[in-house]
Amino acid sequence: MTLTRKRIIILFIIIIIAAVLGRLAVRAVMNFMLGGTMSGGNFL
Amino acid sequence: MSKEKSAEKKGRVMWGFIYVFAFIVTFAGSAVLKMTCNPYAGGFSTDWNDSVGKEYTDISYGDGEADKFDLYVPAGIPADSYGLIVYLHAGGFTAGDKSDDTRILRWLCSKGYVTAGINYTLFSEDRNPDANVYTQSVEIKESMSHVVAEAEKLGYHIDKMAIGGGSAGHALAMIYAYRDADKSPVPVRMTFGAVGPSCFYVEDWINIGGNPDKPVAFDPDKDYQGIADIFTAMSGNKITNDMFRTGEYKELMKNISAEMWINEYSVPAVVAYGSWDKLQAFGASLKLRQALENNGIDYQYFEMKHSGHGLQNDSKMYAEYMWKVLEYLDIYMPVDGQ
Repeated sequence: MTLTRKRIIILFIIIIIAAVLGRLAVRAVMNFMLGGTMSGGNFL
Repeated sequence: MSKEKSAEKKGRVMWGFIYVFAFIVTFAGSAVLKMTCNPYAGGFSTDWNDSVGKEYTDISYGDGEADKFDLYVPAGIPADSYGLIVYLHAGGFTAGDKSDDTRILRWLCSKGYVTAGINYTLFSEDRNPDANVYTQSVEIKESMSHVVAEAEKLGYHIDKMAIGGGSAGHALAMIYAYRDADKSPVPVRMTFGAVGPSCFYVEDWINIGGNPDKPVAFDPDKDYQGIADIFTAMSGNKITNDMFRTGEYKELMKNISAEMWINEYSVPAVVAYGSWDKLQAFGASLKLRQALENNGIDYQYFEMKHSGHGLQNDSKMYAEYMWKVLEYLDIYMPVDGQ
């Protein structure tokens, strides 16, 4: 595997993690203000 | 050799920036998407134009500055009579406006109903210190004949109604449906809404925001003055900590406790609550469910086990709740000619 290929795979992983964390951050803030759980329910 | 090392270092730095940039952009984009898009929200709005209906805004029903309502009337082939749906806005009895509900009012109007959003005088320490849930409920009661008369004036004969709302609006809607329905200018057929406080029992309100599976028991030796102050502000009656020990406060809260007015003749209900609600007592909704059950009322109770006051973590169930509202409207408020 070339170095560039490895870096692109890392980039994809970072994007997926950031997308999940972005949604979770909103959920955490909303839960803090209104109440709610971090797990369960609808992630989308 | 040093040239190669320098190029490698440059590449590493460049990719480092790309990673950080990609993280920030994706994180922000994902957060914005989460706040603005709901994949289950489709179907609860309409493309509003003259072929769907017409809206009349800021019609007065009283002397108060806030005593105004918006009316939405459906277009199409005239019917002999129409069902009226009133939807009351949220805002903790201190904020909000009828215009916040334009979307749902237009959507319900597109189903063939005359719909109305009604404002009420909001509590404010400097501007309206005497406003409370009771005075607001009286305003709503008094507004109804004006809403029906305005619809009649426009050529829409109203022969039945439903009343709903969100949060504070839901509380006021339930008070109208269960306390004031017998004084309504047209028969009330059903009520619906989400996260509205239906009753005020101290044992429920001390558990706001707590684990719904492990409620804390009421301790008569403990000071609950904070809850007493909230009850005082909401009811307009002086509630003290001592009254919690004797139970004397319950009668003083009755005027704003829809649950206490439910009897065997009460109207059907579709309601939704979040188990982890931090702004109103989830336990109060269980008492509402019990009262509906005990009196044999046709009701639907949606408990959103992962959500709080915004019902924000159970979008799919929220959509089910909305469809159930429509189903109950079809049953109890059939559109003339259907």
